[in-house]
Amino acid sequence: MRAPRGALRLLSPAEYSVLAAVAARIVPGSGAPAGWPSADALDCAGKIDALMARVHPDVGHDFRRLLRLIESGLGGALLAGSPRPFTRAAPDQQDARLEAWRTSRLALLRSGYQAVKRLAHATYYASPETYALVGYPGPPDVPQPPGTP
Amino acid sequence: MSGPGRIIPGAEIADTTAVEVDFAIVGSGAGGSAAAAVLAAAGAKVAVLEEGGHYTRRDFNMQEGWAYPTLYQEHGNRSTEDLSIMILQGRSVGGGTTVNWTSSFRTPERTLALWSSRHAVSGLGAATLAPHFEAVEKRLNVGPGNPDDVNTNNRKLQEGAARLGWQPELIRRSVQGCARLGYCGLGCPLDAKRTSRTTFLADAVAAGATVYSDCRVTLLESDAGRVRAVIAEVLDRDLDRPRGRLAVHARRGVVLAGGAINTPALLQRARVGSDSGVLGRRTFLHPTVPIVSFHDQPVEGFYGAPQSVSVHHFADRGDRVGYFFETPPVQPMLAALAMTGFGDSHRRLMERLPYAQSTIALLIDGHHDDPGGDVRADSDGRVRIRYPLHQALREAAVSAITDMARLLLVAGAREVWTLHDPPLLLRSEADLGHIAAAPFGPNRHTMFSAHQMGGAPMGDDPARAVVTSRGRHHQVENLWIADGSIFPTGLGVNPQLSVYAHARLFATEIARAG
Repeated sequence: MRAPRGALRLLSPAEYSVLAAVAARIVPGSGAPAGWPSADALDCAGKIDALMARVHPDVGHDFRRLLRLIESGLGGALLAGSPRPFTRAAPDQQDARLEAWRTSRLALLRSGYQAVKRLAHATYYASPETYALVGYPGPPDVPQPPGTP
Repeated sequence: MSGPGRIIPGAEIADTTAVEVDFAIVGSGAGGSAAAAVLAAAGAKVAVLEEGGHYTRRDFNMQEGWAYPTLYQEHGNRSTEDLSIMILQGRSVGGGTTVNWTSSFRTPERTLALWSSRHAVSGLGAATLAPHFEAVEKRLNVGPGNPDDVNTNNRKLQEGAARLGWQPELIRRSVQGCARLGYCGLGCPLDAKRTSRTTFLADAVAAGATVYSDCRVTLLESDAGRVRAVIAEVLDRDLDRPRGRLAVHARRGVVLAGGAINTPALLQRARVGSDSGVLGRRTFLHPTVPIVSFHDQPVEGFYGAPQSVSVHHFADRGDRVGYFFETPPVQPMLAALAMTGFGDSHRRLMERLPYAQSTIALLIDGHHDDPGGDVRADSDGRVRIRYPLHQALREAAVSAITDMARLLLVAGAREVWTLHDPPLLLRSEADLGHIAAAPFGPNRHTMFSAHQMGGAPMGDDPARAVVTSRGRHHQVENLWIADGSIFPTGLGVNPQLSVYAHARLFATEIARAG
């Protein structure tokens, strides 16, 4: 179980651990060269918790329900032959579960995959720690507007 | 006259506050600011209520991780209910103009003609709108397109289109003193972008208007066919939760300008004039399909004016849905959202970011049989947006992806990657046939929307329109709408000038009527 760094604002500790496990498979990939931080190192799940605490409460509620569905062994058994909870599945099994949702014929599962995919990618690649790794020098120096001291 | 007004942040508003004005204006983007400027200049006492916060160039740090949660609707998470279309829509003092990419077009004449012939819009020809476009262009400093604005990302689009005879055009931009940093979408750190906040809203405040930020309007109080007041939740900015209540009593009227999602949602939630069956339907998004190409030399699409070239060669395809091409800024977070896949395959694309060029196709929705989407607000304020992908739009998307891939190969791309999920890799003209064979549908290809239109359309027929061709509500005599929700179809161009100009026209006539 991955434990949160600080106080959670929306998720339960169990839901957080699912999100952190999912994020760890989405970024940066198990073949990432040395120097690429893990999702845990950038606290992606903690940042997502803080973000989703500010959206409409019903949207936050749906997000928590999605994480519980991802974790459920039932969903795993139906989709990718694995009855284990997501957080206790082997990494390649976790990838297979995400891949099954990604390409599912069921629109609801594709939506669920997109939710966690986008949140993980947004928090990871918006982190300045990853800028140099993708060849992005970061924001430039801002020229001083005329008339400012 | 009582001297200039000011912008009051929610933190300075007492828990229970009531004020009385002539006009309450909901929203501070292009539409709300233009209406506020006209009405305040005419001597009316004006209050503008804005759900988002008030930020200026000192706040704009060019970090995607700050800007999207702070300056966009739903903290950057707005999308259709099934997540198939990500909806980029502004939410701060300045509304969409705080974060738009400065592209400035007048409403196309063929779109105005369609509204006249098919949607009973009357008296809104190009000649009627022209003085308002001229005034807006002057205030926003919209000059002719400037070839010096074209960065490498846009040059690829320009060169490919030119070689194919597809007539690339330079985009006119709303900037003054632009340093071409590339961060229009995150708030301009120079305030060189001419936004509503730095133009018409500033004019309104100078003429006495008061702007209340961090105030989310949730109710309209009305009786006897007139709206009397707007009621807002005063938001705690950090939590984005209500902590107070602001009541604005409007002696003369209310102008709604919260944009094409929030205005229909507010009218539904407030149950004002919502019985026509039209409200919240025919929502148009210019559904936007991106593509990514990789080049041998660096493109660095994260820098430079983000949008300077457009291609309207395919805007009119007769019986088929048209589309036009532009470019997005290629900054890491936005690129990571757009690129499909996860794990190693996604990272390998991200590792090549400086060599990536991106083009987008915006589908011109609503001009054919495609009915658009719909907006529904729950009683507790949750907004649900649905946008089924009509067959005519799917055909247009597949055609547009094929055309963009061809264009980028002609422009010298080493590889073109579609954003199907999973993506297609195209290396030559011979590969283009794979595009039509790939599944296209919700969450099978990345789609965005940066342009929200419709949902409370104008027109002279109350059975088919929410407001008249002058923005006045068909059932509520002192309620007007002055934002993108009045457009009966997608515009076919980036919307900011159209919103400003229509709002300025409507407000001019409201002021003239006394």
